[in-house]
Amino acid sequence: MDLYLPIAEVSVNAPLLVALGAAVGFISGLFGIGGGFLMTPVLVFLGIPPTVAVASESNHVAASSVSSVIAYSRRRAVDFRMGAVLASGGVVGAIIGVEVFRFLLLLGQADLVVSVSYLLFLGAIGSLMLWESLGTVLRRRRGEMPKPRRDRRPMWLYALPLKVRFPRSRLYISIIPPIVLGLGVGILSAIMGIGGGFILVPAMIYILRMPAGVVVGTSLFQIIITTSLTSMLQAGRNQTVDIVLSTLLLIGGVLGAQLGARASARFRAEELRAILALIVLLVGLRMGLSLFINPDDPFVILSGAG
Amino acid sequence: MAEMPAVETPQAQVSAVLTQSEVKVTSGFRGVTISVYGAVFDPEGKPADVVVTLRGPDQPVRIARKVRIAGVWLNSRPVVFQGAPGYYHVSSSRTLNDLGRFAALRQLGLGIDHLAIAAPAERRTETRYGIRDMVVSSLGADYYDWRSAVVRLKAAGGLYAADERGVRFVDKGLFRADIQLPAGAPTGRYQAQIVLFQDGQPVSVRERVLTVEKAGAERALYLFAHERPWLYGLVSVIIALGAGWLASRLFRRS
Repeated sequence: MDLYLPIAEVSVNAPLLVALGAAVGFISGLFGIGGGFLMTPVLVFLGIPPTVAVASESNHVAASSVSSVIAYSRRRAVDFRMGAVLASGGVVGAIIGVEVFRFLLLLGQADLVVSVSYLLFLGAIGSLMLWESLGTVLRRRRGEMPKPRRDRRPMWLYALPLKVRFPRSRLYISIIPPIVLGLGVGILSAIMGIGGGFILVPAMIYILRMPAGVVVGTSLFQIIITTSLTSMLQAGRNQTVDIVLSTLLLIGGVLGAQLGARASARFRAEELRAILALIVLLVGLRMGLSLFINPDDPFVILSGAG
Repeated sequence: MAEMPAVETPQAQVSAVLTQSEVKVTSGFRGVTISVYGAVFDPEGKPADVVVTLRGPDQPVRIARKVRIAGVWLNSRPVVFQGAPGYYHVSSSRTLNDLGRFAALRQLGLGIDHLAIAAPAERRTETRYGIRDMVVSSLGADYYDWRSAVVRLKAAGGLYAADERGVRFVDKGLFRADIQLPAGAPTGRYQAQIVLFQDGQPVSVRERVLTVEKAGAERALYLFAHERPWLYGLVSVIIALGAGWLASRLFRRS
């Protein structure tokens, strides 16, 4: 059953999109991520203009994140105070990101910046996660004791002013690092059409040293705020949110997210992380490949108004 | 030719209709075939050729060339081509170059090669080969590459097409042409031009109008998105958040 999308102005197969939404939603629930980094490239591959894909995808990420955050907050696994501080940076980042994206579109360099960002961020984070989680898996197989976690927090985190207590994360740190982190992720979120969970989660564990239990829920909470704002801005400034497209995706997405969240209980955390790392790495490399392989056609028509 | 009979010969005429003059783009739209039917009236019965073009609303094309810098493929500065139709289809009863003179085709803008696609922002005048005020594109000698790339990429999306056997004479003086309008064709006002050629010259021209517009829910959503963009954004966010909340409620109960 084909459906004509009013904003994207292309005809797509509706059941296929719902199924895709469900598959990405499942992955999102399983790993506690938004899944935007998977969906946006797939949408572009299906022939949806990149501008519309990026904008509509942030809507879909918001939906699956709400679905999972409610489940996490019941388990008291969301640090709302930390989430709000991250989001205050994220909001500014999203506003900057949407304007940067507009500017890049005019320059004709939007797809280049998107490809480079995917290659750099997904490639780097995927490799780090894979390295770390494979190490843990191997040590477990060999029956070695897990490496004692270095609990020494970096000193600079404590030297900064504006300290705030985060009871649920058992932290007493300056709000400057979380705000800067939120800002960076907000910008990337608008440019890459992602929630940014795969950047936030490791950063919260390794830089802010938050307890692993609250990291995923908190990151999803901040993602809801940033992606909701991104959708608003993309719709208001660029008119690129396709409500039919995002609704199709989120029907499958919210259901898949619930199933994924249930399935996640059956796997070990480090095995899940290894699989996620592999997915992140592959997507990053695939997107980056377009920078190096010879193009089919030396010319490219740029989307967005001339 | 000057020794023509004194009696004025009645000129050959062409007339034609489109099977539909309105295309509604609704949720099930997957493209449509427009048929043009027409007749050639010529008391002398001279051999006749017909060219049918369908031209969509103008859509400037922004195009960039991929350039390799330090092993990485980058986009060059984009160039805007004005005057490019968003859709262009030409069908003829014979190869265009066989049935019409170059000057006539160029003047009527018939055929993809004769479309007035230009990059005016890239032009400047200068003195070259001793001739003053020559219009030179700063794209230089590559200009032809750029223009043909516009045509090639549009053709790849089914938006530009030429069918050299597209006009078929089904009976004496009666012809028919089928034109495919893909789902990606832009909305707006389309001009159909039916030209009768005899002896390489255009003898008679008919014009027909086709409108392609979004209808129903598609139109309502499109207008909503463009006229009240912020409210539209708010609604889309509420749908997303509501759906997420609803799913978690449903699954909690089950």
